[in-house]
Amino acid sequence: MQFKVKENKGLGEKVYHTVLNSGLSLFVLPKQSFSKKYAIFSTRFGSIDNSFSLEGNGEKHLKVPDGVAHFLEHKLFDQEDGNAFDHFAAYGGSPNAYTSFTQTTYLFSCTDFFPENFNLLLDFVQSPYFTEESVAKEQGIIQQEIRMYQDNPDWRVFFNLLESLYSEHPVRNDIAGSVESISFITKDILYTCYNTFYHPSNMAIFVTGDLSPQEVLALVERNMAGKSFSQPENIQRDYPMEQPEVQRKEVSQELSVSQPIINIGFKDTYNYLDGKELLFRDLACELMLELIFGKSESFYNRLYDEEIIDDLFSADYIAECTYGYTLISARTNDPDRLHHEVLMEIEQVRKRGLNEEDFNRHKRKLRGELLRSFNSLEFIANNYLAYKFRGIEFFDIVDLLQDITLEDLEKMLAEHLQEKYHAISVIKPYSG
Amino acid sequence: MLFPESKTVPININTHILPTTKFKTIIITVFIQQILDKELAARTALIPAVLERGTSGCPTYRDLRKRLEELYGAELTADVSKKGEKHVLTFSLEVINDKFVPGEKLLRRGLELLKDVLADPLLENGTFKSSYVEQEKRQLEKEINSLINDKISYALERCIQNMCYSERFGVFKYGAVSDLEKITPETLYQYYVNLLAENPIDIVIVGEVEPEKTYSLVEDIFSFSRSSRLKEIPPAEAKNVPAEIRYFQEKLPVNQGKLNLGYRTNFAYSDDEYLALLFYNGILGGFPHSKLFQNVREKASLAYYVFSRLEKHKGIQLIGSGIDVENYELALEIIEKQVELVRHGEISQEEMENTRIGLINQYKTIGDSPYNLVNFFLDGLVGESAKGLEYYIEGLQSVKKDDVVEIAQKVYLDTVYFLRSPDGEERGETV
Repeated sequence: MQFKVKENKGLGEKVYHTVLNSGLSLFVLPKQSFSKKYAIFSTRFGSIDNSFSLEGNGEKHLKVPDGVAHFLEHKLFDQEDGNAFDHFAAYGGSPNAYTSFTQTTYLFSCTDFFPENFNLLLDFVQSPYFTEESVAKEQGIIQQEIRMYQDNPDWRVFFNLLESLYSEHPVRNDIAGSVESISFITKDILYTCYNTFYHPSNMAIFVTGDLSPQEVLALVERNMAGKSFSQPENIQRDYPMEQPEVQRKEVSQELSVSQPIINIGFKDTYNYLDGKELLFRDLACELMLELIFGKSESFYNRLYDEEIIDDLFSADYIAECTYGYTLISARTNDPDRLHHEVLMEIEQVRKRGLNEEDFNRHKRKLRGELLRSFNSLEFIANNYLAYKFRGIEFFDIVDLLQDITLEDLEKMLAEHLQEKYHAISVIKPYSG
Repeated sequence: MLFPESKTVPININTHILPTTKFKTIIITVFIQQILDKELAARTALIPAVLERGTSGCPTYRDLRKRLEELYGAELTADVSKKGEKHVLTFSLEVINDKFVPGEKLLRRGLELLKDVLADPLLENGTFKSSYVEQEKRQLEKEINSLINDKISYALERCIQNMCYSERFGVFKYGAVSDLEKITPETLYQYYVNLLAENPIDIVIVGEVEPEKTYSLVEDIFSFSRSSRLKEIPPAEAKNVPAEIRYFQEKLPVNQGKLNLGYRTNFAYSDDEYLALLFYNGILGGFPHSKLFQNVREKASLAYYVFSRLEKHKGIQLIGSGIDVENYELALEIIEKQVELVRHGEISQEEMENTRIGLINQYKTIGDSPYNLVNFFLDGLVGESAKGLEYYIEGLQSVKKDDVVEIAQKVYLDTVYFLRSPDGEERGETV
């Protein structure tokens, strides 16, 4: 098996890539001198994949309860011979998993016994074992997880916003589903989803630490040797048609918080983007938001001085293949005023244009932040695959960032941040 | 030795340098130690916020942010932390290693900027600029009040406050809102001038640097005046045997109850027994294989999260879990049962060994993160226990089950605190 090597001199990193016969992608990024080894095993199955069909399956269409990807993530740890957590414990491996809108990722870190820990990861992710009894037990645990998030104002304000921005797209549903929706999950549904989305051709592994690509590949090959896989089938994921208009303009909820929390969202209007095009849009929008709302810009400083916002104020762009949006988030005593100021500022920036000097400074900052984040093995691995699943080569960021021009930003500014496609979500303290 | 390079620069600042080629950045951290005290806490907490507003060279926050962006997005943080009964002001600046941006002198410029933030703040009539102080007072007030937004942290903090109501450790790291009002720019500035001159200051630098050159740089740049006799900041008292167990409840409209138990371990960070205490905490609730996770979550399905952790500089152990209000008694019973089991020596060989390898793993990976390294150093500094990572990695090898059981005999439950929705049975004194 031959590795393809991708090197980025600016980052001082090299990544080795190969595809196994089963269709599984393996990436290794050697990091000498680190004690920690970090490995992730990831599938393109997230909370938004709740409606799908397999091409070879006579186009049989399936709709599954909300929260099933996350439920499956919990349940995979339960093995026929006990809990996978316990097996890792003997080798000092520290396993975990997370489910996002678009993927499910299983991971561990360790210092010693890498081969043993790595084998455990490969084994448990590839050995589903669901029973009605264990599904029922997990419902209790996940109910508590959902209740925990119901009390979390940052989480609530965000999901209330997504529910308002989107009418049809499943990004509007909570990743964990609801107490009600998870009650419909059965072991058969879990097996169906597993068989659909956990085929090696829909998955990838990323390993980093003081390891050689050859030794990691040998471990994967040995682990897979005894396993047979069906021919990969094309998964047809059905995302309902989403109109650019928002579902509702405004939503608010009361929780026990010290002051209001606001999220303002601007929906982007593309239906599907991936690869360089998506990355380009992502970077251009990120930079544009920095130039308008960054901490060195007049907007932030004026509103901070007027005590409308504090240093938790943030503005970010989220770029996925099937949806994209800008999220502005703040703690404020005057949500109406802040909402108004944000809209005014966008209008004024459109009139006065963006400044070259600010642009270069923010670009410099972004480059530094990117380099800085490469101190973390977890950051590298998690982001590499998250980008890969969107058809993006993560290392391309550095060069693409250099290529972006002020004109690109101005083009984005004309297109995105449309007032007619925005919504706000507010969490208020309990009244009375 | 973890920090082989250490020197005291002429103005009585200890400088510690850890050269390593692992990271793409260089991190400079300045610690100023102060006593944690009710009278001082709000003032101490306000200092980093005011200093971060502007220096004489960068008089506005905007100027300062621009400067940081020009330095390739150098990351400046200024905050306070509570370490036992010491209050630590922390100023940190992370810059890119010059080799990634040829032609720059980011380390020098970073050090200069950090020194300006600390020692050359923007002044107005010889004192802090009053609008900055007034604004930051109100921002800090919001920050103090916002603790309630995060129910897990809020419940932990309230458990500690009730448990340590008569001790300095019961003081919140940002102080109390009622103490903010009386602070004026003049009193705050005078307080800071004394703090900067008389309190212990340490600088830690982690990254690819040449120690000798870096000491000279620090000596060159950090050239303000300091007292030759520094204040001593006393460590916390870790010994405490509670006379009785106290039960508190607090009612808020929440979906999930938060149960917290506060224990007195009677061991300090500098004690030899600290290694066995790490085992005690780990076996109970530091890992997925721990008794609490296995029994409260996996067997009884009562909770999504349940943990045990140490307030290592105060000898306190905290157990926390999110549960349904009606499961209070059951959860409490299961938790206390696990503590009881450890006390009676019911620790399997597997639990011992899994905890050992888990703890060693944690210490081995500290060196892979510059911030974890700096934190580990700070623990040694405030805990007056200058032991390197090797001490822990080696020491953990030889801890025996009997050592853990011996620790368990000296651990006492002090406080049970329950954050809960208003409906249902009463569960202790309402606070």
